[in-house]
Amino acid sequence: MPGRIVDLWKSVDKSELACSASLAALGAFVVWESTAWEYMTRDGPGPGFFPLWIGLAIVVLSVFYIGFHAYDLIREEPVHRTNWSGTAPVLAGWAAFMVSAALLKPVGFIASFTLLVVFLVRVIFRRSFAAALAVGVGSALGFWVLFVQLLGVRLPTGPWGF
Amino acid sequence: MEMLAGLMQGFAVALEPMNLFWCFVGVFFGTVVGILPGLGPSATVALLLPLTAQMNPTAGLIMMSGIYYGAKYGGSTTSILLNVPGESASVVTCIDGFEMAKRGRAGPALGIAAISSFVAGTVGVLLLMLIAPPVAEFALRFGPPEYFALMVLGLSMVVLLAGKSLIKALLAMFIGLWLATIGVDLFTDNARFTFDRVELVDGVHFVVVAIGTFAIGEVLANLTHKDGGQMFEVPKGLRNLMPNWQDIKDSRFAFLNGSLVGFFIGVLPGAGSTIASFVSYGIEKAVSRHPEKFGTGAVEGVAAPEAANNSETGGALVPLLTLGIPGSATTAILLVALIMWGMRPGPMLIQDHPTIFWGLVASMYIGNVMLLILNLPLVPLFAQVLRLPAYVLYPVILGVSIIGVYSVDERLFDVWMVGGFGLLGYLMRRLDYPAAPLILGLVLGDFMERALRQSLMMSAGDLSIIYTRPMAVTMLFLAVAILLTPMFRRANAWRLKAAEQEI
Repeated sequence: MPGRIVDLWKSVDKSELACSASLAALGAFVVWESTAWEYMTRDGPGPGFFPLWIGLAIVVLSVFYIGFHAYDLIREEPVHRTNWSGTAPVLAGWAAFMVSAALLKPVGFIASFTLLVVFLVRVIFRRSFAAALAVGVGSALGFWVLFVQLLGVRLPTGPWGF
Repeated sequence: MEMLAGLMQGFAVALEPMNLFWCFVGVFFGTVVGILPGLGPSATVALLLPLTAQMNPTAGLIMMSGIYYGAKYGGSTTSILLNVPGESASVVTCIDGFEMAKRGRAGPALGIAAISSFVAGTVGVLLLMLIAPPVAEFALRFGPPEYFALMVLGLSMVVLLAGKSLIKALLAMFIGLWLATIGVDLFTDNARFTFDRVELVDGVHFVVVAIGTFAIGEVLANLTHKDGGQMFEVPKGLRNLMPNWQDIKDSRFAFLNGSLVGFFIGVLPGAGSTIASFVSYGIEKAVSRHPEKFGTGAVEGVAAPEAANNSETGGALVPLLTLGIPGSATTAILLVALIMWGMRPGPMLIQDHPTIFWGLVASMYIGNVMLLILNLPLVPLFAQVLRLPAYVLYPVILGVSIIGVYSVDERLFDVWMVGGFGLLGYLMRRLDYPAAPLILGLVLGDFMERALRQSLMMSAGDLSIIYTRPMAVTMLFLAVAILLTPMFRRANAWRLKAAEQEI
């Protein structure tokens, strides 16, 4: 029996397990927070009513999901396997986006967006530095002209005024 | 007579030069978006949502709807020339469209796709015009319990067809409902789940979630995408694009089948144009005298699905405009746009804002004519869009996303949030969680909570108000029946097939 459990543990998709556990934790947090607000008032349901049931549903469904996943594995039925190949460039691209978001305030939209595009085109798409610079500067300037100059949208500006 | 007067009023609105211009912009961008694989109408409409905030509501809705139905036209071009669907609704067009192109009939395939799209798009608008007003009148009888039950029914249908795993779809929906509770509770002024951040007091902005999960998520998912395969050349000259008389004759039933199937499937929340196109293709093959021709370049195999996915748009607008219930991610964004412009989508919309409803209907007639004109002689030009390299397209989408979310409230916090939701959108794709239930949960969550609390206030907390009113209990019964469907082996097999097609 313990050997069977070890086999089952080995065959469980760890990504699915981690995801379900995170969702169950989120559901528990929602339930916990909801208990701080009134569930029922004299006029009817209070602010805690709806989120409490949502949180409970998230916890129950997450536990159900991992239960069904394990049950399917025991019955040797096909289960969803998460394929993480090609994730590294995606995470690098996402990190570059977040860094660019952080740079919006200190250096402004034009500079932060140019840096983001140069990184994506050069590192992720593996184009030449000249092409990356051309796309970066061209798209940032294009946005500046279209949105700021023509449509009057206000975007963050750097110390140099753009 | 009243309908005719409404339509005349609609044409007066839609033919105003500025509205004509925005209609053209919408269908043009829609066609481009439909052609580009990896950029769907929901992502585009979400991207443009913040930029339309300052627009006249009629013009804004005309433009956004133009993108919605224009994308259906454009999707066929990539399917026929590249064997890669420009959007999910054009998957089935690949089967016979690409075979026609391989046999040197790319021109007639594109031509029949444009003509069937035009015929069905027009039939869809006609049915929308005939069906929406009586549905809205009927819905005037609905009180909060019926609305709550209707939203439960709508969400359960979306969840049923949203992905292979019903539990994952339900989880995505509940996360959307939870996101909708963030911010100040309108009944009691309690701040919920704000984490002491003043930016969250007004709740999570829908634009941030939609742009994050759809646009940024799509870009991240495509960052490792290699460029497509061999593209067939588009024949030059209108004559080479026109199908012959035999093609038209062979497709006449497909036009009708696709138009009706597409519209009525479109009315059902969650079903969507991909399922409509597969069903109409299946019907066409089943009733054909030569079913063996399907899959080898049968012209009906292009006409039926293209008709269905265009007619579906008219159907999908019925629940949105009459009940305020969106059935897909794109119509959910249109609902938010209507709210943003100060309207209350629901049965009173047609009465309170006739220029919006009839202007939209009339603009869809005009838009379909524009699309036919754009898609026949200009299709070689549109096909050039496919040559736009990914390393130019994706940075442009990221730039529009940043500007879009920042321009709503000029807050850097929203840019951070959109990045977070972008990663969430990517992880959901990888872990096979559908995004549509999350978006619909977020959009409907607020209305749903309000309807439920109003219902329980009416009954002093007695839940029986929901299951003692005939219409409400019928809808809840249907919702439960829908959610129990996967327990039946045959029904579940059908559901999985439909969900796979929708993906």
